[in-house]
Amino acid sequence: MFKDLDPLLHSQLRLAIVSLLISLDSAEFTFIKEKTNSTAGNLSVQLDKLSEAGYVSVEKSFKGKKPVTTCRITKKGMKAFEDYVNTLKQYINK
Amino acid sequence: METPNQTLTAAESLDIIAKMIQEAKGNVKRNSIYLLLWGFVTVAANLGMFIFIQIDYPRPYLIWLITIPAWIATLFIAFKQGKSKQTTSHLDTINASLWFSYGVTILAIVGFGFKINYQINPIVLVMSAVPAFVSGVIIKFRPLMLGGIFYLIFGVVCFLVDGPWQYLVGAIAVTAGFLIPGFMLQNKTDL
Repeated sequence: MFKDLDPLLHSQLRLAIVSLLISLDSAEFTFIKEKTNSTAGNLSVQLDKLSEAGYVSVEKSFKGKKPVTTCRITKKGMKAFEDYVNTLKQYINK
Repeated sequence: METPNQTLTAAESLDIIAKMIQEAKGNVKRNSIYLLLWGFVTVAANLGMFIFIQIDYPRPYLIWLITIPAWIATLFIAFKQGKSKQTTSHLDTINASLWFSYGVTILAIVGFGFKINYQINPIVLVMSAVPAFVSGVIIKFRPLMLGGIFYLIFGVVCFLVDGPWQYLVGAIAVTAGFLIPGFMLQNKTDL
């Protein structure tokens, strides 16, 4: 079961990250950490995987003197999420 | 969410998606501060104008100077909110652009009001219907949509009444259009 689902999205934290970013233009690392209730280390690892796949873009900048990591979903990420949801629908409608 | 690689069922996947989309809805309550600020300031200015005219004060229009600190406060609050904001959504951007355009248009009307003998009250009220109603649609908040409709109704009423009564109608319009929705938005718990 679920063998056709994108393995990159079919994971609790990565799916949560992408679901969060799908409705936003951008979100800061700390916001995603808080909303997904994850640890900084784990979130960082999962964001790297999504970024390497081209699903999410990660940008580091400064807000005043504070370093800020901003994440955005890419077009590829949106398409992957749509496909994931469509596949999910098929399983549910079975 | 400490176990990223555990197998998910379809129901669990859907649950995560729904929960995260809900989390991303943002805090639309932060908009209430502007509705309350401008609601109080313009109700006070309209009522002040009405009272000053009634007591034959020679320069009743000076009451509108209270909008200057309101503009400064608006810019300060917007700057502070922008600094502490951790996310931006497309709808936030649309909403901010809508109110910015409205603010600039109102400034232009007030600035060149002398060209039409300052008969601007009904125009300002009717125009206020647009951002109130559309903003209500954007944040899915019915009282603000209704506030927009009230602005339109009282704007039309304002065209039909004369002199100082326009300011009284204005105060009622702002109360129904900004103040009451502002209070309701601030006290709303399920947004």
